Amino acid sequence: MRPFRVSDCTLLTSMSGLPAAVNLRELRDRIAICSADVLYHHFCETPMVPFFDNPDYRNDFAVWSKLHLSDRVLAERIGIIDPYLVDDIETLRSQVLDIIDERLSEIQVVPTALPGSEFYFLEATTVVFDAGTVIEHPTGLRNAILNMTNSSIYFHFLEAKRRPPVCIDDFSVWLADWGSDFEQAIQSLRSIDFMFLTLSELKIELANALAGKGGLP
Amino acid sequence: MTAKLEAYEGIVGAAVIRQLQHLGQKLEGTGVVHVNSTRQGGGVAEILGWMIPLMCGLGLNARWEVLNGAGEFFSITKAIHNGLQGFPVNISSTGWQIYQDANAVNFERLRPLLEDADVVVIHDPQPAPLLNLCSNRKGKWIWRGHIDISHPFHPTWKALKKFVVGYDASIFSMCQFALPLPHPQFLIAPSIDPLSDKNCDLGEGELEEARGRFGLDPYRPLVVQISRFDRFKDPVGVIEAYRLVRRVSPIQLVLAGGGAVDDPEGKAMLDEVLEAAAGDPDIHVLLLPPDDHRTINALQRLADIVIQKSTREGFGLTVTEGLWKGKPVIGGDVGGIRSQVVNYHTGFLVNTPEGAAHRIRFLLHHGELRNNMGVKAREYVRENFLLTRHLQEYLTLFHQLLSKRGEKMFYV
Repeated sequence: MRPFRVSDCTLLTSMSGLPAAVNLRELRDRIAICSADVLYHHFCETPMVPFFDNPDYRNDFAVWSKLHLSDRVLAERIGIIDPYLVDDIETLRSQVLDIIDERLSEIQVVPTALPGSEFYFLEATTVVFDAGTVIEHPTGLRNAILNMTNSSIYFHFLEAKRRPPVCIDDFSVWLADWGSDFEQAIQSLRSIDFMFLTLSELKIELANALAGKGGLP
Repeated sequence: MTAKLEAYEGIVGAAVIRQLQHLGQKLEGTGVVHVNSTRQGGGVAEILGWMIPLMCGLGLNARWEVLNGAGEFFSITKAIHNGLQGFPVNISSTGWQIYQDANAVNFERLRPLLEDADVVVIHDPQPAPLLNLCSNRKGKWIWRGHIDISHPFHPTWKALKKFVVGYDASIFSMCQFALPLPHPQFLIAPSIDPLSDKNCDLGEGELEEARGRFGLDPYRPLVVQISRFDRFKDPVGVIEAYRLVRRVSPIQLVLAGGGAVDDPEGKAMLDEVLEAAAGDPDIHVLLLPPDDHRTINALQRLADIVIQKSTREGFGLTVTEGLWKGKPVIGGDVGGIRSQVVNYHTGFLVNTPEGAAHRIRFLLHHGELRNNMGVKAREYVRENFLLTRHLQEYLTLFHQLLSKRGEKMFYV
């Protein structure tokens, strides 16, 4: 069987070139035309961006709606969108636009952010490199995960779930190569609800999923 | 003296160090030249002071060059700096010519280095014209804007823009600071070196020596602002806040900062501050040598509360330094301070001297909360604003610019 080569990655954020949005209508119009990379960044790359404490929502549109538009209804509706449950970014875009259009039809005044609190449309470049660690056998996976950087966890678990053509985390794909002995561990990994976990918390959760009952044999 | 990369392992963990080594390995031998306007004083000089040795330690061929200039040149670049931060300034065409001429003289001195470099990073507006002078360049040129230019005085930006548009990329500390430019604009927050003289742990003896040297009373609360004497740092506003608190609490205030070669306005501002202090023995206005980092470190550690009441701010590394020392920071609600000071977690954002006074009183009354905020503050810096993260992002940028590929994800 092939060993698991641990990769690592770094993200570099950049401006998308779109003007910042000041109000909900501008947010809607820019989401309609922004690149898939921009949507991906604001929905999926947020765990790699510095933040303080756990925000209420894991995508930037919901956070901005709550904090700067003071529209809690909209924040709740956008906040529950799980980008890992939709087939592609265009479907994600349609969902967000539908929600915003619905909200715009409900309210009398378009909510507007204060100066200095505009929404900036960003994207990121990811550089991936070999972390220099090789896992020879599934029994070594749990310890290796505990020693990985948060960005390795991001790359092998979260980014892999949106990486075509497989769109499944790298750990369980690798375990599947080793036969049915690891079926329970695979199921444990795939059933983690990672939506509200920071990368450090996700690392622990992955290690826990591979330990004890339902974990590695 | 900067520590070797491995020395940071105890602070950030071995995995982060390995990550940097892997990124650096692939850039071995890459020629990088950083250019700024001063070797001492200010956040940029401090960052370059550690970044160059660490880049070299990772195998890059990194150098730091500084513009030579006369007083007149720095008066003009200070006016440009103020204009970019939104302050109306009048720079004559002669002034702009002096600015370009000084760059031309420096270019002749630096020509071989700049022409040969794989990557040139030009810091802030002072050396920006070097790009247009270097017609035989072979590398990628990056303009690094450290200040908040989101609302510049238009004539200043219009004149400067022609020196900046030709760069291959620019870097800003926050998305709010960027202005539309016809090249990729990357976001990299600055950072501090936790092992430098300014941020390393200090023994009790050294702290007490500093306390004695400046006549600070150990039994009364101490509020400290460390900054250049600059109008945008609002030292006079801090004195106003102190006076409001002083009516009810016997606090002491330290306003300390070093001068910088490229800041000719510092003396005038210092005089204004001394006038506002009006000989109050509990207001300690200290003009420190630019390299007196251990004294600054000691003053921040002696403080009960660190304040940085800026009205305009790039990132505000003195805020980062205060947070790293486990102090809650009362900061102006501007620029990069917003991304560091989180109300009720790492400190408080304020807009006025009254607001600053209110939060000083609040923190003096809530000692336990103050300590808890200090613990959170240090961890927040560890996660986000130490030099290892900063270095990692620079290496990532070099990879991207040198890869000549347009993909959003690529392997090195």
